[in-house]
Amino acid sequence: MVSRRNFLGRAGAVTAAVSAAAVSKVAMAALPEPVTQHSPDTMPPLVPERGRPYNPVVTLNGWTLPWRMNNGVKEFHLVAEPVVREMAPGFKAHLWGYNGQSPGPTIEVVEGDRVRVFVTNKLPEHTTVHWHGQRLPNGMDGVGGLTQPAIQPGKTFVYEFVARRPGTFMYHPHADEMVQMAMGMMGFWITHPKQKHPLIDEVDRDFVFLLNAYDIDPGAYTPKVMTMLDFNLWSWNSRVFPGIDTLNVRKNDKVRIRIGNLTMTNHPIHLHGHEFAVTGTDGGPTPKGTRWLEVTTDVAVGQMRQIEFRADEEGDWAFHCHKSHHTMNAMGHGVPTMIGVDHREVVSKITQLVPDYMVMGERGMADMAEMPMPLPDNTVPMMSGAGPFGSVEMGGMFTVLKVRRDQKPGDYGDPGWFDHPAGTVAYEWTGALATPARDRDPGRSAMPARNRPAREIEVQVRKPDRHGPH
Amino acid sequence: MTTPRHACAAAARGLPLVLASLALAGCASFSPDGGFDTVEQVAQERLGKDVVWARTAENQNRIDTRVAELLTRPLTVDDAVQVALLNNKGLQARFFELGIGEAELVQASRLPNPGISFGRLKRGDEIELERGYHLNLARLLAMPLVRQVEERRFAQTRGVVTLQLLSLASEARKAYFNAVAAEETVRYRRQVQQAAEAGAELARRMAEVGNFNKLQRLREQGFYADATLGMARAEHAALASRERLTRLMGLWGPQTRFQLPERLPDLPEAPTDQPEIERAALAQRLDVQGAKLAAEQTAKSLGLTRTTRFVNVLELGRAHNSSNEAPTQTGWELGLELPLFDWGGARVARAEAVYMQALSRAAETAVNARSEVREAYGAYRSAWDIARHHRDELVPLRQRIAEENVLRYNGMLIGVFELLAAARSQIAGVNACIESLRDFWLAQADLEMALIGKPGLSGAALALGSSPAAGDVGADH
Repeated sequence: MVSRRNFLGRAGAVTAAVSAAAVSKVAMAALPEPVTQHSPDTMPPLVPERGRPYNPVVTLNGWTLPWRMNNGVKEFHLVAEPVVREMAPGFKAHLWGYNGQSPGPTIEVVEGDRVRVFVTNKLPEHTTVHWHGQRLPNGMDGVGGLTQPAIQPGKTFVYEFVARRPGTFMYHPHADEMVQMAMGMMGFWITHPKQKHPLIDEVDRDFVFLLNAYDIDPGAYTPKVMTMLDFNLWSWNSRVFPGIDTLNVRKNDKVRIRIGNLTMTNHPIHLHGHEFAVTGTDGGPTPKGTRWLEVTTDVAVGQMRQIEFRADEEGDWAFHCHKSHHTMNAMGHGVPTMIGVDHREVVSKITQLVPDYMVMGERGMADMAEMPMPLPDNTVPMMSGAGPFGSVEMGGMFTVLKVRRDQKPGDYGDPGWFDHPAGTVAYEWTGALATPARDRDPGRSAMPARNRPAREIEVQVRKPDRHGPH
Repeated sequence: MTTPRHACAAAARGLPLVLASLALAGCASFSPDGGFDTVEQVAQERLGKDVVWARTAENQNRIDTRVAELLTRPLTVDDAVQVALLNNKGLQARFFELGIGEAELVQASRLPNPGISFGRLKRGDEIELERGYHLNLARLLAMPLVRQVEERRFAQTRGVVTLQLLSLASEARKAYFNAVAAEETVRYRRQVQQAAEAGAELARRMAEVGNFNKLQRLREQGFYADATLGMARAEHAALASRERLTRLMGLWGPQTRFQLPERLPDLPEAPTDQPEIERAALAQRLDVQGAKLAAEQTAKSLGLTRTTRFVNVLELGRAHNSSNEAPTQTGWELGLELPLFDWGGARVARAEAVYMQALSRAAETAVNARSEVREAYGAYRSAWDIARHHRDELVPLRQRIAEENVLRYNGMLIGVFELLAAARSQIAGVNACIESLRDFWLAQADLEMALIGKPGLSGAALALGSSPAAGDVGADH
């Protein structure tokens, strides 16, 4: 949970190359105490006790940074530091983040607030913080070299500006940006509207998460920062399924989900069972007339999408990136396709050399999720997650929206699996099957084939054979 | 050199001639062992092995029985050496050189045949009968020298035969390790081939159902083809090394079906530390001893040349002349060369040169022996270190890499072909370990040989035995 332990006291536990002594005690005394989060779980929303009231967000597998009021200014303290992030149970990554986690804590303010953010650098190299999407004085934009000198290790800088427009924003370094983002330096920023806004609806649940990607060799801990596209871990808030929490809502709740993309590719985010509208971008709320309903929205690189829907269908609804590789965990991209390959006799030869060898992929890759097998250390299987009917066979950017009639308002706890009403689950047909009629002459009228292949090629459908002798 | 002969030679010089000639005649006979005792003794002391000279049918039977008995079980290295020492026909042929040498020695020890001269002279009515018994005294006087030459040659023959025996033992030892290692290599090569075969078969089936294209399939086929080639080479190497051992052990017919153990002996826990190795080698090495002996003997022959240079043609005879007209004349007759033109200086100079040559040879032999034994010990130490490194570092490392690869295969991070490639590489690592162990045993055989005679150092072979580095089978996920 949230600990308010002293900055200096914690320093010993930090693995950074920077020593605590590098930060002056006197200087620290005037700063808001840095707050650190040790748990990767989803924290309850931080309801404001002071300042202008607002409806707080819930950061998926994350938390909101507490602040202090100082003469009418909201003061936050971000500490950039190396962290150990549990990306899924049994798999920890050595990342860089803020205040003990990657992504860093969500910062929530209200339109018109004067905000002062102290940024202490406990990384082994300089950094800055860029406030992605904010209107602010140019010198507060956080671009190292361009608008400010970089924050050297051990130094604390102050950013101060007024949160001028409501919306969904991010923060991330703009100094050695490639490395620091590949290492997980990022966080969310929400500016709530000061008063009722014609384009911003009141919602019952407001979830936020960032899309990020890492390339960590199975069994290793630190991301490979030079990877550009061939990542092997596609994550939401640096968590991979089954390590991602579910989105638990009450039936008929108005739900808002804000998604920011800090990976290097786009992500078509897809929700089952409901239609949603994109109600906001990095630029702010979308005009009502531009909103249309859809079930997938593409979140491009460096973009924000804010989607809204009424959760009026009970059940456990899949919610995921529609790039199917992004719903897998680490896997070999060069592994040959083994589907349909008869392994008889060959298996015994191989097992003479590799006694632990097991045939996989002969019928597809679902075996992978069905047979738990020893893996390299610090690795999650490429597909896993047990559902009520078996393995969900997913990883990476996948989670579940749980809509329940009896979920209490403000309760974000997991209600368990959906109890389907009788007759509402797909079932096995046990009656007789008529032979389907097949058209043997496709393209007859529209485009008759002129040059047929010399030999008629007929694609044989190879039926999966689960009981083959192996 | 056996004592009775030596005593004989001394006696020949000191005693009156007749006695001397009798004594000489008395010791010019064959020894019961034919000079074999020395050889047998060396085999016992240095190798702990028996040797039998198949001079009689009984001896040959002993050999055959013993060899048959040794061949009933998988051969140890000592068995192999024992069989070679008993059964190698080349060595037996060498033993007969002892017989030849001894015969020559005996020949040289025999007294020259005395001569008789008989003359009948007539002068008018006078008939003179002249009878003379003469003995080539020079030859008699020179006999010790000739004997010494022959003895030296005989000693040399014994030395050569002994060295041949030791060298055969060393060769047999090395051939044994080579043969065992080669058979082990064949087993591992077969496993590599199996892995490649499984890959090729799988690739064929992949191509059959359309998952692989021709290129991918042919690549896997290529591994298999290479592995088959490697297998054929290994089988040939195994055959050749086994045949070499067979030849050294002198086996033929059904005997060639002798069994070898499946594995080389384990690496000793620690290498032998031998700080005094040079001294030991100088004390023990037969070639060093031989060179020393040769120098001593040339020294003796130099002395002899000096003392006998004037007395080189000396004739002694007993004259017995009778005449029908006069009393019988008897007396001694001695002929002596006058050293007017040849004072023997050239012969002395030659003998001195020969002596100095022998001294230099002895010095060279000693220097070489020291160096060879150092080299052999260095090779032995390195071979031990390398073999231990293979056993304790490389093989476990490859084993762990293989295990990690299985885990990565489990997680579908690598495919079956990478797994098979890793398995092949792991097997190659095991094979390299076997080769390093073989090299150690070869180096040890060389070292043992270097301590007793001139070794046939196989040190350069150590540099071979290449193997891919441990980390090269990492698979990209």
